[in-house]
Amino acid sequence: MYDNIRVCDVEKYYGNDSNVTKAIDRVSFTVERGEFVGVMGASGSGKTTLLNMLATIDRVTSGHIFYGDTDITELKDEKLSDFRKENLGFVFQDYNLLDTLTMEENIVLALTIRKEGKAEIQRKCGEIMRILGIEEIKNKFPYQVSGGQKQRCACARALVNRPRLLLADEPTGALDSRSAQTLLETFTDMNHSLNATILMVTHDAFSASYCSRILFLKDGRIFHELVRGKKERRVFLNEILDVLSLTGGELSDAR
Amino acid sequence: MLGKLAVRNVKRSAKDYLVYVITMMLVTALMFAFNSILFSPDIRRRIDMAGIMTAMIGLATFFIVIIVAWLINYMVRFMLEKRSREFGTYLLLGMKKKEIARLYMRENVIMGMGAFIAGMAMGVLLQQMIMAVLYTMLQENYHLKLQFNRWCILMTVCCYGGCYVLALFRCKRRFKKMNIRDLMDAGNKNEEVKESHERVKQWLLPLSLVFLIFFGVWLFFGAALFGGWNGGTVIGFLVGLILVIYLFYIGLSSFIICYIRRGGALIYKGQNLFLLRQLSSKIRTMWFTMGTLTSLFTIAFLGCTVAMMFSDYQSKALEDKFPFDVQINSPDVEYDFSEEIQILNEYTEVKDIYPYYICENGTDQVNVWLRTHLRCFGTMYRKGGKEDAEADLEKIRNTDDGSYCRFDTYMKLSDYNYLRKMLGYQEISLKADEYALHIKNRVYRETGDFAGHLTVEGDAGELKFAGYHMESFSQDGHNGGDYVIVVPDESAGNLRPYYKELVADLKGRAPAGLADRLDDIGRDDEVYGHLDMAGDLDDEIEEDEEMVPNSCFGTDQIIVYAAVNLVRDNLIPEVKYMLSAIVFPCFYLGFVFVCVALTVLSVQQLSDSAKYKFRYDILRKIGLRKNEVAAAVAKQLFLYYLCPAVFAAGIAGTVAIFISGKFIFYTGISTSVFQYFGVSFLLFFGIYGLYFAATYAGFQRNITLHTRYELL
Repeated sequence: MYDNIRVCDVEKYYGNDSNVTKAIDRVSFTVERGEFVGVMGASGSGKTTLLNMLATIDRVTSGHIFYGDTDITELKDEKLSDFRKENLGFVFQDYNLLDTLTMEENIVLALTIRKEGKAEIQRKCGEIMRILGIEEIKNKFPYQVSGGQKQRCACARALVNRPRLLLADEPTGALDSRSAQTLLETFTDMNHSLNATILMVTHDAFSASYCSRILFLKDGRIFHELVRGKKERRVFLNEILDVLSLTGGELSDAR
Repeated sequence: MLGKLAVRNVKRSAKDYLVYVITMMLVTALMFAFNSILFSPDIRRRIDMAGIMTAMIGLATFFIVIIVAWLINYMVRFMLEKRSREFGTYLLLGMKKKEIARLYMRENVIMGMGAFIAGMAMGVLLQQMIMAVLYTMLQENYHLKLQFNRWCILMTVCCYGGCYVLALFRCKRRFKKMNIRDLMDAGNKNEEVKESHERVKQWLLPLSLVFLIFFGVWLFFGAALFGGWNGGTVIGFLVGLILVIYLFYIGLSSFIICYIRRGGALIYKGQNLFLLRQLSSKIRTMWFTMGTLTSLFTIAFLGCTVAMMFSDYQSKALEDKFPFDVQINSPDVEYDFSEEIQILNEYTEVKDIYPYYICENGTDQVNVWLRTHLRCFGTMYRKGGKEDAEADLEKIRNTDDGSYCRFDTYMKLSDYNYLRKMLGYQEISLKADEYALHIKNRVYRETGDFAGHLTVEGDAGELKFAGYHMESFSQDGHNGGDYVIVVPDESAGNLRPYYKELVADLKGRAPAGLADRLDDIGRDDEVYGHLDMAGDLDDEIEEDEEMVPNSCFGTDQIIVYAAVNLVRDNLIPEVKYMLSAIVFPCFYLGFVFVCVALTVLSVQQLSDSAKYKFRYDILRKIGLRKNEVAAAVAKQLFLYYLCPAVFAAGIAGTVAIFISGKFIFYTGISTSVFQYFGVSFLLFFGIYGLYFAATYAGFQRNITLHTRYELL
């Protein structure tokens, strides 16, 4: 059974023989079911690359990624899309909503390509829109609503299929602080009520403070890990800020 | 520096808009090739009526210049919009608007010149092909020969340049209104789907379709249902048709939107929701362009259909029209054709020559029957113009429309059989109390057996009808108009000679210019080889009651060649050339229009594929396989391309089948009404397929290129 996600010794190189960039350098970690994990790091630290590999959009140079017993690094292209369709949900900074479709239709499309029946689609779609509070705007087009609403719609689309893992790449990056807070609360809710597993990439400490565990990346390596445990969010935020204040210096300073 | 930049930009644009560049090359090639027909010295020397071709190609060129100018203008505006960010950057760097405008103009001119030069090279090849076709028509051998007539090149340059001048006329103004912020933002703007009053607007779709059905009914049954067409209804329908072509797209878009809103079953299957939304939003923003493209396609279809009709006529009917090598008419029954025979003997090798009479007996029952029963006359010759009314004999006898002679035309069996033998048909035999009818196939197909309505008197009372003959028999006024009654010699004592004919069978081909020599004899009763209908004869009738008009052309329409002296080998090339004056420009027009319209469609889609590639990435991210995305792209392109093509095919098909029907009816050619449009349709979809394939390949490349780029 799929219970956890294991990243084992993953490496990713870019470039050719003469000029190789190591984007990810032997990274290993595990995400347990129902966890809300954050990945933090400065620009160029490799956090989006890591997310893309988990999202099966990018391939590893070496190493393995296991979803339960399935090693996705061994899957062929065709199988990968099926895997993506069945197991993953995405939320991106720029929403990635189809601009020609209304809010509701964006969610419906994600269901129709899984070949579900009309009644089932309508039921699921109605339910997730109610949970995320976007029922009133379901007939609006993306350009007609606020960024926060768009991002909630993207969340609804990602979650409507009950994915094994929700991948979020800077989901609050384009939002104002109020919308960002609402969205993060939504994430926490979903994490608790739907028992959704979430992996969020962010460079914003405030956003990260909503996570239950945070991995810090620097130059393609994990150099630190914070676990929230039973701590207050405010306390956890301070801990994160402490770590971040050190990342400006040498790696050794952080340790 | 600006020059260098311009050249580099041109290289990039040429790559991005390859379809456009290729179309411009094609247009140049076509212009050059068709213009060279006008300036070919051989043709000018050979053909008396070369002016017709000049006029027709000139007319086609006029419309082509306008449409190509529209394409250039469209593309210039389009590229400007796509490159607005780049121009914004130039402004930001401190370039003046004037300089940017000049740079952009220079780029366009360089690109245009490049396409022109490459197009001329293609044009030379095309010229050889067109010339070969034309020379075959004129029954002459064509030797490959590059013709670089100065005037032809100049004319091509002028036409092409004219397109650019027209297109770039107001372009500079666009730069004046520019503002950096707008320019930088323009590229980032997504399409805003504005929906309002969709429920009302969706009715435009059924309304347009109803109008089209009504239009079809009016076209085919208008004369019967609404008591004929008049100028008002024709203009009304044409204006309606143009409106409908445009409004159809607003209706279609709204209809799709309403269907999606209703939650129709189709949207819950696969990527249909995505495709329908794509289609409706694209049509919504592009409805005007789509309407224009539909009009272009419709005109192209019709042009091609007309070209097909006349070219079919060329290949099928012309040989039938002139079965005899030489045939000469004289309204004077005393005339002995001595001068003509002398010329024939002098310039040709005569195998057989035969003079004979076409006779009359003072009756006109066949003429009356045909005039009251053929559809081309309608109820014109019935009393009061009413159906089922009696024949208006007075009107028939006073008419001079030239279809039929004053009296019915007869022939003696011996003459008839002699001619049949000459043409290689089997001779017929008639008993002393029988008669036969030689009638045009076309007329017979319409009338059916009408011998029961006729009473033909021989010397010893009424003759019995013994059958129809329908081989080609020169019945456009020589051996009667439409028909001739054949009676046995022994029963022909009551017939009087009506007019005289001479036919000749030649060994080998008639030399060029033989018809001219015969015309040059210049008999009193003809004008430039054609019977003088208007002048002298009328005067003579007044002077001499016995003399009645004895010339006719039959009821063939659209293509009628009536002349006193028919020399087949001279005539066929001449007529073919005249028909080519319709066929060539129609093809020319159709081809350019299709290419222009397809270029616009293609460029639209390709630039969308670059601008909106994120849509396809999203599809992949939400779990579509690569081949599923490719299938979605194919479907989207297919729908988008098919929309204007199918709509135009529907309109043009209706009209084409209608005019084909008329053409077949009036010319008597035996072809299915669907053939002309069918062939045009296939030709169209051949070109269409090429553009579609090119666009599809480009589209796929654009959206996959992005993914690779994103990964790196």
